[in-house]
Amino acid sequence: MSDWQPKIVAFLCNWCSYGAADLAGVSRMDYPPNIRVIRIPCSARMSPKFMLASLRQGIDGVWVSG
Amino acid sequence: MGIAKRKAIYVEYAQAVPLKYAIDPKECIYLTKGKCGACKKICPADAINFDEKEKNLTLNVGAVVISPGFSPYDPTKFDNYQYSKLPNVMTAMEYERILSASGPTKGHLVRPSDHKEPKKIAWFQCVGSRDLNKCDNSYCSSVCCMYAIKEAVISKEHAGKGLDCAIFFMDIRTHGKDFEKYYENAKNKHGVRFIRSRVHTITPIPNSDDLEIRYIKEDGELVVEAFDMIVLSVGLATSPETVEFAKTLDIKLTEGKFCETTTFEPVNTSRKGIYVAGAFQGPKDIPQSIIEASAGASAAGEILTPSRNTLTKVKEFIPEINVINDRPRIGVFVCRCGINIASVVDVPGVAEYAKTLPYVEFVTDNLFSCSQDTQNTIASIMKEKNLNRIVVAACTPKTHEPLFQETLSNAGLNKYLFEMANIRNQDSWVHKSTPELATEKAKDLVRMAVVKVALTEPLKEAELAINQTALVIGGGISGMVAAKSLSKQGYVTHILERSDKLGGQALSLFKTGKEENIQNELSKLVDDVKKDKNIQIHLKTDISKVDGFVGNFKTVLSSNGKDEVLEHGVTIMATGAAPIIPEEYQYGKDPRIITNLDLDKKFITNDPMLKTLKTAIFIQCVGSREPNRMYCSRLCCTNSVLNALELKKINPEMNVFILYRDMRTYGEKELLYKKARKEGVIFIRYTLNEKPRVVFEEDELAVIVKDHVLSRPIMIKTDLLSLAPAIVPYADDKLAKFFKVPLNEDGFFVERHAKLGPSEFATDGVFLCGLAHYPKPIDESIAHAKAAASRAVTLLAKKKVYVSGQIAAVQPANCSSCGVCISICAFSAPSFVEKGPFTGKAEINPVLCKGCGLCVSSCRSGAIRLKGFDNDQIFSQIFAIK
Amino acid sequence: MLEYTKKIREIAERLLKEGKVDMVIGFRKGTLPMINEPHFVKRAEDVNELYWDTFCAVNLANYLTDRKERIAIVAKGCDSRNIVNHIIENKVKKDKIVVIGVPCKGMLGRRKIALAAGGSEILEVIDGAKVTIKSKAGVKEVDRKDVTQDNCIICTHRNPVIYDELVAEKVEEQKNVDRYEDVKKIEAMSVQEKNEYFDTLLSTCIRCYACRNACPLCYCPTCFVDESKPQWVGKSIEETDIKTFHFLRAYHCAGRCTDCGSCERVCPMNIKMRVLTKKLEKDCFDQFGWEAGLSLTERPPLDTYKPNDPQDFIK
Repeated sequence: MSDWQPKIVAFLCNWCSYGAADLAGVSRMDYPPNIRVIRIPCSARMSPKFMLASLRQGIDGVWVSG
Repeated sequence: MGIAKRKAIYVEYAQAVPLKYAIDPKECIYLTKGKCGACKKICPADAINFDEKEKNLTLNVGAVVISPGFSPYDPTKFDNYQYSKLPNVMTAMEYERILSASGPTKGHLVRPSDHKEPKKIAWFQCVGSRDLNKCDNSYCSSVCCMYAIKEAVISKEHAGKGLDCAIFFMDIRTHGKDFEKYYENAKNKHGVRFIRSRVHTITPIPNSDDLEIRYIKEDGELVVEAFDMIVLSVGLATSPETVEFAKTLDIKLTEGKFCETTTFEPVNTSRKGIYVAGAFQGPKDIPQSIIEASAGASAAGEILTPSRNTLTKVKEFIPEINVINDRPRIGVFVCRCGINIASVVDVPGVAEYAKTLPYVEFVTDNLFSCSQDTQNTIASIMKEKNLNRIVVAACTPKTHEPLFQETLSNAGLNKYLFEMANIRNQDSWVHKSTPELATEKAKDLVRMAVVKVALTEPLKEAELAINQTALVIGGGISGMVAAKSLSKQGYVTHILERSDKLGGQALSLFKTGKEENIQNELSKLVDDVKKDKNIQIHLKTDISKVDGFVGNFKTVLSSNGKDEVLEHGVTIMATGAAPIIPEEYQYGKDPRIITNLDLDKKFITNDPMLKTLKTAIFIQCVGSREPNRMYCSRLCCTNSVLNALELKKINPEMNVFILYRDMRTYGEKELLYKKARKEGVIFIRYTLNEKPRVVFEEDELAVIVKDHVLSRPIMIKTDLLSLAPAIVPYADDKLAKFFKVPLNEDGFFVERHAKLGPSEFATDGVFLCGLAHYPKPIDESIAHAKAAASRAVTLLAKKKVYVSGQIAAVQPANCSSCGVCISICAFSAPSFVEKGPFTGKAEINPVLCKGCGLCVSSCRSGAIRLKGFDNDQIFSQIFAIK
Repeated sequence: MLEYTKKIREIAERLLKEGKVDMVIGFRKGTLPMINEPHFVKRAEDVNELYWDTFCAVNLANYLTDRKERIAIVAKGCDSRNIVNHIIENKVKKDKIVVIGVPCKGMLGRRKIALAAGGSEILEVIDGAKVTIKSKAGVKEVDRKDVTQDNCIICTHRNPVIYDELVAEKVEEQKNVDRYEDVKKIEAMSVQEKNEYFDTLLSTCIRCYACRNACPLCYCPTCFVDESKPQWVGKSIEETDIKTFHFLRAYHCAGRCTDCGSCERVCPMNIKMRVLTKKLEKDCFDQFGWEAGLSLTERPPLDTYKPNDPQDFIK
């Protein structure tokens, strides 16, 4: 369990959360590198199908933010 | 702000534009002592120039808009609050930083002295406002009540139930749109305590960092209470530098050191050609500042119309290469960004890896991909290697996508055949401690970008011609000012008015707080509009149908049973609002009980009865701030104070009472309130639970109200009772549907953005001003009207617009015609096809689509695609994650 | 029930004779006990083929979509709500249909009856205060509620919500029904328990899509499970594919499902998938005060946006 690292896919709204993730970089905040960001034009673009597809792909967590 | 330490090289704040470093000349050892200079040696971009000096530039301009802003009041002078001595006494601006995720505590709510999480926080209102004792600012700063409530609510949300927030205030002034509801929620839902008391002194509690205060409750009880932190809600003040600046510009200031303006020209300074916007015009919040900024631009635009587009250059057009049906040939450019990426991520490793990915034909790494010479290199490589898709692995598309897209365009490639992998902001900068994992992540991100770009198609940007005619709906002050502004900027404008007369509510108003005669000014305005050759007036006219959309509206104007089709490019909603007919306080049962507008009319006609009055009473909030109408009508407090003063002018011996709940004479209107008290107007506060009662004592009219000082009911016999009724909009549902714009539950139009888009709708080409947005006095209505005109002109002046290619499109064969897309789209882009083989299926107007993708994910039948963020593209990204 | 049948025939005959409709959609008696078939009658002389009893559970609204004719349709409470939904979603035009409303006391479930008869071949079922089951094993009387379809037991809209004709007086609506007893039980489970519950619930699915085909809400030209570009969901009966299918189908029914029970009724594997649609039904009711198919003017909550929509799900 101790070595296990989750894989997380983050669907981030281009206008807020994606910008916030950029800002976290500008502020040099350090966070674990387990996240892969997929930029979407708006959280409205999010479909339950993407979440299910991600989980099916073996991803451990889906994060939607917008 | 001095809450935390800052290095000699710094970024102003996390959201600064441009987001670039600066050197603090006061701290830099090289600049102060001539030693060091290490930054210059180490900077790979060679961006440091110690010799850069302040320069004086001379610009030849036709108009100036100034918006020097305010500085927060410095409470050091309030010695009994000991702001400079006690670390846990802070200003609201400093507290704002504590709450901010990019602040010194990273948004963790702790107090400065010992980093303890506070359990009790107090806010003191009116520090540096409404005060002649400790400072000379007798005006109200307008924004502090709302920001204090906001801070209290956010604090509670941050800290959870254990935190107690108390706001000490004189009057709560939540006169902005939707603010009253926020205030009610703060009280009832979040449990913020509101205490009507002005606290005199803050005393530190010995052997602790806690603070003690004593205050008198409304019932006279003395309370001693301890708090962990105290936030001073400091007011807005004009800085000495700005005062100096005003002198240089030779513009006049008001008593409160704000820029002097008139009601009818609210953004004109005393000097011709210089306009003002924002808090320097008077203390105000964001939406009002945004309105004035647009209004200032409009005022400048009005005098600069002849010179518009005289200094512009035409861009060279490069024909686009057809890549459809070509196999993807992807070029990947991995950026080192100096050491920003390369010091953490193994850039050559990532580049090597990229070569192994499908369809990738060319990979290289650059020191700075965004530099001009690299851009040229990329363009020539694209041509040389015949690349048809480009990936740049660098910083963020938020800032750099347009730049690289332009490089594509210049090389003749459709700009949408491009993708960025964010390996700086979202990788190297945030995973410094784990470089290997950061490199792995960079490879993943590059792979995800490559698979996505391979599926990218060239996209077309729809072109839209903008009809150069404008329609303004509503012939009140707002409508007329908007029309006049549009006309002055060269556009033919039609004004539509449902009644038989221009003027609207202003027809029954007497005087402004600046002693201007409203009827004189109004008739001047009506004359101007009537004489204006660019303006066509349609009285007694309604709208029976609207077709089309931004740039191409076709509106059917109906008058006397006759229809006329008007083609126009933009629409301004200035439909106004009107006072309700009161249903309480015995209104309508006695001629002595009237409304404030009735009283204004008596002033206008110089009614002889006014001279006979010995007593007059005003009752505020008649229908406003009540559960079924939970908003403040904003202008009634000032209106009643003005009328009270006018009565005192007629007969200084007259007994004048104003029965109120909170006096909301915001900004410099506070001076009128002060003057009224000086003239002997008596203000009695009542509560919603104990409203005044109107009784008839035989022939005499009397009001019974519980006096807030004596705490017992008193009866006042009066000759006149003037009610301040709530202002309600027309809430024309039909009109709202015609132009596809929303109404809120109170019937006011909902603007594009409550703070940043107050003068336009989310629906393109439709703009908003005046009372239809929210109750407001004349000066604010005029600023709003000019702002709406300004927003409309930014569209009209383009003549043609191109919209993004990243929009939704329907595949009709899959469409089941259920209509979800039509119902759910905020921008009215989808509609049903009316003719041809796909009749009944949905289609999306590319001009109106904003590309948000809501319809795409709401479509159960999967019939809608979002170009640029298509389903298989997003799936390919998901599947590319290892 | 005989009166119902008589009245349905009377109305159908009149409508067809007067030329008000081109077709009547109702039921005809099946050749086996407990099975009645949907039936389309186009000529007045054929109206005696129409039939009604307590085995008319098939949701006839399913036959209305994308038809050009003027149609009279026999509709129970749930059917009528689906017709309302169809009108909102442009599947039928209100002025092109005549709703022959049938107040309903709940349909009997043939699986429950078969079970009550101990698996013996059923010869006849007589509905009344008690239900009489005649089978090869003999005659048995059972309580009506023991053999009523699950969804009918908790039904709170037994009377048609829209109708042009009514075949009988309205029946009394059931009150104080807890529609979500089962959903609440699942909601109270731990994540692990839930996982196990759904694993078991869906483990027998063979992906025959009978549930989808019986559902009046599933009218897309191409269902997401059949699409190949993009392929939203795998085609196998592997557990994640099965779950994806069921969960997404339920989502597509959110705010639209009237709990007519068609999906469960037709499932050859007897999967109780109504808990999925009911969970979404419950959420729509709790959060938006919404019940599907009651309003001809309002669209389901997931089709609209209102500034005061609840946002408590945002953490």
